[in-house]
Amino acid sequence: MDDLQQIADNLIKGRATEVKELIQATLDAGISPKDILNKGLIPGMDVVGDKFGKKEIWLAEVLLSARAMQAAMSLLGPILAASGVKPIAKVALGTVEGDIHEIGKNLVGAMLRGGGFEVIDLGIDVAPEKFVDVVKQGVSIIGMSSLVSTSMASMKTTIEALEKAGLRKQVKVMVGGAIVTQTYADKIGADGYAPNAASAVNKAKELLGLSSLS
Amino acid sequence: MLGLRISRYNKNGICERQNLALSFPLTKLYNHNYRDLLFGHGMTSYSVAFEPSGKQNYIEVGKTVFEAAQSMGVELKTLCGGRQICGKCKVKFEEGFFPKFGIYSKREHLSPPREGELRYLGQAAIADGYRLSCAATILGDLVIFVPEESRAIKEVLAKTATAKPVLLKPAIRNCYVELPPPSLGDTRSDWERLSEELARNFNLIALDIDYYAMRSLSNALRSGDWKVTVTTWTEHHVIKVKPGLVERSFGLAIDIGTTTLAAYLCDLSTGQIIATRSVLNPQVSYGEDIISRITYVTDSLDGLNQLNNIIMETLNSMVFNLASEAGITAEDIDEATVVGNTAMHHIFLKLDPQYLGRSPFTSTIRHSLDIKARDIGFKINPVANVHVMPIEASFVGADNVAAIISEEPYNQDEMVLIIDIGTNGELVLGNRQRLISASCATGPAFEGANINFGMRASSGAIEKIAINPKTYDVRFKVIGDVYWSHRMPRLKACGICGSGIIDAVAEMLHAKIIKPSGTFNKNIPSPRLLCDREEPEFVIAWPYETTLDQEITISQGDVRAVQLAKGALLAGAKILMKRMNIERLDKVILAGAFGLHIDKEKAMAIGLFPNLKLSQVYSVGNAAGEGARLALLNVDKRSEAAEIARRVEYVELSTDPSFTEEFVKAMTFPTPKNN
Repeated sequence: MDDLQQIADNLIKGRATEVKELIQATLDAGISPKDILNKGLIPGMDVVGDKFGKKEIWLAEVLLSARAMQAAMSLLGPILAASGVKPIAKVALGTVEGDIHEIGKNLVGAMLRGGGFEVIDLGIDVAPEKFVDVVKQGVSIIGMSSLVSTSMASMKTTIEALEKAGLRKQVKVMVGGAIVTQTYADKIGADGYAPNAASAVNKAKELLGLSSLS
Repeated sequence: MLGLRISRYNKNGICERQNLALSFPLTKLYNHNYRDLLFGHGMTSYSVAFEPSGKQNYIEVGKTVFEAAQSMGVELKTLCGGRQICGKCKVKFEEGFFPKFGIYSKREHLSPPREGELRYLGQAAIADGYRLSCAATILGDLVIFVPEESRAIKEVLAKTATAKPVLLKPAIRNCYVELPPPSLGDTRSDWERLSEELARNFNLIALDIDYYAMRSLSNALRSGDWKVTVTTWTEHHVIKVKPGLVERSFGLAIDIGTTTLAAYLCDLSTGQIIATRSVLNPQVSYGEDIISRITYVTDSLDGLNQLNNIIMETLNSMVFNLASEAGITAEDIDEATVVGNTAMHHIFLKLDPQYLGRSPFTSTIRHSLDIKARDIGFKINPVANVHVMPIEASFVGADNVAAIISEEPYNQDEMVLIIDIGTNGELVLGNRQRLISASCATGPAFEGANINFGMRASSGAIEKIAINPKTYDVRFKVIGDVYWSHRMPRLKACGICGSGIIDAVAEMLHAKIIKPSGTFNKNIPSPRLLCDREEPEFVIAWPYETTLDQEITISQGDVRAVQLAKGALLAGAKILMKRMNIERLDKVILAGAFGLHIDKEKAMAIGLFPNLKLSQVYSVGNAAGEGARLALLNVDKRSEAAEIARRVEYVELSTDPSFTEEFVKAMTFPTPKNN
């Protein structure tokens, strides 16, 4: 258990290399990948999200933790999949068409992974058709990010594309980004809006009817 | 406390900072209505904003515009103190929707004009929206523009060109000729007579004459008794024929910044700048940064025409004033060069800027343009050529090309980094071997936006700050006053401008009020540290030192905004250095008005640019404007610009794989040196 606590602590401090080494060591010691995720990484990211929400840490520190989480999952993800551990749900994330800012989206991705979700990262400048395709492959939620007003309208276009493809009802749509507001989310018919990466996890759980933390 | 909250919400603060506002100027599109929340029921107040100061607050119904201005620290000229008897406090209300303020400003939102206003302003001015601020009372939401003549203290907009020596080789040439008068034996047309003489005396062959110039040709020849001065452009185009000998000719260099317009009137025969003017870009009413301007154009019915019209109107009035100052007329100006960032460039040319704002960020054109002044409604000599300089990429515009031809890194062996800090930051790195450029989304934090008590550099703004690291005592100096705060200053502070913000952060870092991570140290034993607020704040000016009846502070959020902006800039510089495969710089050039004002040492202390010796850092002022002037005076500079625009390699920073990592590192402040 001590090892798992150490993983969480290093994750909180944003030490990617140490987190990766510790995970390898605990795996070698025979601890199940499921426990590493559920008792090490998830509680660690939970603390990060909580502190970020309370403004005890800020963006630069959260980005480091997010990077460590990404490194952890690059190692653990395939092992989890191979051992048949199911994520709580699949989420596809992308920065909408016309926009190339990815930091916010990546942060949400790390938080969601830390919340036990499987995250498919569609990248930046993602065309509505790409979102439609990923929904066809079966994801529970799509998350769209936009940082600038010149491309924010692509969120609306994407929702319309989902409707046209007859897929709107089978997926929940979440939106966020510096300029996006709850009002805008309501206006374009999104299911959920989160003002920051930390609250995105709870919002995702809420949309799926899963018991949300807190 | 109520007042404090309001001003925060109104200054692009809290709601945005909660978000993951990253590498782009923050735009405020959807304004929440906080009025009910703040004022409850039974008391009606309206949102009133003043330009060019950008100040906004809620004002009770029935107050005069003058009272509103006073309460918000907007200083209006007055001789009578608001009694409607001097006519000095003239203002203009703006009509339409202003997304930046979330205000729908209408004529009906002011009380009807009174008799006294008619006397001082006249019917026509009132129809144009002018009012006496002490007579007009507030009946609804309003955006009010304070014209230059009504401002108690003038703006400090240092877009002055630090004039460099330049080889004179203008496109404009004056040729004086004396022609044999026609007779029945010599019935050549006036143009044939003139062009043959010009070919013979000046070797000007294959000349043509502009249609407008042609229309005055015959009378000019005769009234000058066949002695005329012919003005040619690039030696193949006659643009003016004037009777007699005319020696001087004039040109104009223009820099259209997102926030500031600068124009330099030059004597083309001597190369001297004879008059300079800089004013606030009137488009700021439609948004602080280029993204919000582009959004305005895209989302409103006639947005492009509107933004183009107000810029042309302002330029025309600047030209009129410059010409009067120099004792000439606007029609005496025979050529103009224009630079600006790509969005300003497109709006100036009435080209749709919307595709600049979306990936893959394409512009309509990149090459330079030569167009007639009359075609764009520019009121100089209608035949005059307007040379619009080339652009590099969607976010690196003609202003950057101009800065490069002014600083000429391509003629140097030293590795130079040019940092042009305006509303957006542009970087150029290189030497004679290679040049690369990038655009950094610093956002307008350095111009005071996104900072609780931030304001532009105008009178009353705190521009310099010193903090005693032992007592945490603060001294500051405001623009418009020569005395520091501890020596009986004449002016009270109403906000902090960009250079003051850099000073504040550097001094707070030095005094260990903030840690290198940017986090406040809550254990500082000083009454200036306020920990009972929503977030920690440090008091720069006490209420009695301000016009606001409250403290002016730097908050945790303000420090974060600076970290985001400087992080974007420094990360950009680091990535460019990596691309160039260099470890260190030989020289840093700070361009832009902001660069001229900031304290280089303080800028280095907060890590605004890569570390190097202070003696290797230079502030050059408005390099873009200077580049426009050089191109005006020497046509070879235009060819240089054309070559540079093609040659500079543009680096897209946000898609660089190491951007996040560099950005995280760059947001941290350097560890302060022990004293």
